[in-house]
Amino acid sequence: MSPDAGRGSFAVDVGTERPLAADDPLVEMLTRIAAGDRGALKRLYDATSAKLFGVCLRILSRRDEAEDVLQEVYLTIWRRADRYETARASPMAWLATIARNRAIDRLRARGPLAYAAPVEDVIAPDPAPLASALMEQSQDTAALHRCLDELDARTADVIRTAFFEGVTYEALADRLNTPLGTVKSWIRRGLLKLRGCLEP
Amino acid sequence: MSGDPELPETEAVAAEHALGVLDMQARAAAEARMAADPAFAALVAAWRVRLAPLAGEIAPASAPAGLWGRIERGLPANDNAMLTRRLRFWQGVSGAAMALAAACLAIAVLAVNQPPTVIRPQPGVLLNASLQGDGAPMFVAAYDPDRKALIITSLARPGADPVHVHELWLIPADGKPRSLGLVEPGASHRMPMAESLAPMVEAGAALAVSIEPPGGSTKDGPSGPVAAKGILTKI
Repeated sequence: MSPDAGRGSFAVDVGTERPLAADDPLVEMLTRIAAGDRGALKRLYDATSAKLFGVCLRILSRRDEAEDVLQEVYLTIWRRADRYETARASPMAWLATIARNRAIDRLRARGPLAYAAPVEDVIAPDPAPLASALMEQSQDTAALHRCLDELDARTADVIRTAFFEGVTYEALADRLNTPLGTVKSWIRRGLLKLRGCLEP
Repeated sequence: MSGDPELPETEAVAAEHALGVLDMQARAAAEARMAADPAFAALVAAWRVRLAPLAGEIAPASAPAGLWGRIERGLPANDNAMLTRRLRFWQGVSGAAMALAAACLAIAVLAVNQPPTVIRPQPGVLLNASLQGDGAPMFVAAYDPDRKALIITSLARPGADPVHVHELWLIPADGKPRSLGLVEPGASHRMPMAESLAPMVEAGAALAVSIEPPGGSTKDGPSGPVAAKGILTKI
């Protein structure tokens, strides 16, 4: 392969396709955190903690537990920043996934029927959300909303509830007063349709 | 029950795990399976990516003022980082990584439970570089002096150029490029620095990425064009 061929190919690479997440400061922060830069972790915390605390609080609804989980989340980020890959997700999506997983783990520790209380009374308004901390309103976001809208309302509602509250099938069935197998069938079919809609 | 199509069982469980509807036992089983079965882990990862945009709807909430202090006090020193060198893949977010994270937390808890200790000073200097190509950052790098490793994050889109690879070079004060290895598009790598190279990683040294045939340059230096370049500076 001649160097010229390489130049030509790369020119196509950078010329017509924007680099991944090139203007997202969180990428540089994660890279620095992976190198052991505590200052970068603090900056990431300042830029993302309100968003991630919102995620923890949404699922756990109790401030004390959400605070404990948020602490675990940033220790996990400190440890695992080098696992972030730009090709897979935006930094914010990756961080929110970690927070959601940790919060659900904590919720499960309460028992199979545990679910969140209304959160309005526990959420303090965020005084200054940073632009970099907001989930990007990407094409992916638009596509997911469009595809959820294509599901029947009941299915979309139960999938959204499962996502936002992190509750088990059992808790959903209990709350909806519907057999567990039926709820499971709604969700599985809904997810299949979602996949088909997202990847035609 | 109608004859509606359903997801294959394996993918259905992966999707359920990503959505978060599995109970404690099934969730633990899914985590264990992710650790043992990369194909299953990839399915979970794909579902997490599909569903992730929903998190954008969740309202932010200010974390309590003292929380950062708690986190900072809980940060383990860098030198037990051996734990983190295994397993790549972001799908490990809770998969195989669960055990790992548990270990980390155990360490964190130990750290928290011990009397206040003085955080030892960094033995070396943190460095970083933005490697620009065509005026846009193509790679972001940072040097970890504790572990003598370079972290590099590629912003290149995977698949854009399947017939070439990206090779990373360190160009120290003597001007002679040293290969640090290949960088996959869209991936992050932790590149341990050879003893002979570590002293050359200092502020002012350059990092460059060249476009090479599969397997990398066969010459003693880049054989293809330089796609991106940046200078290491102190953080």
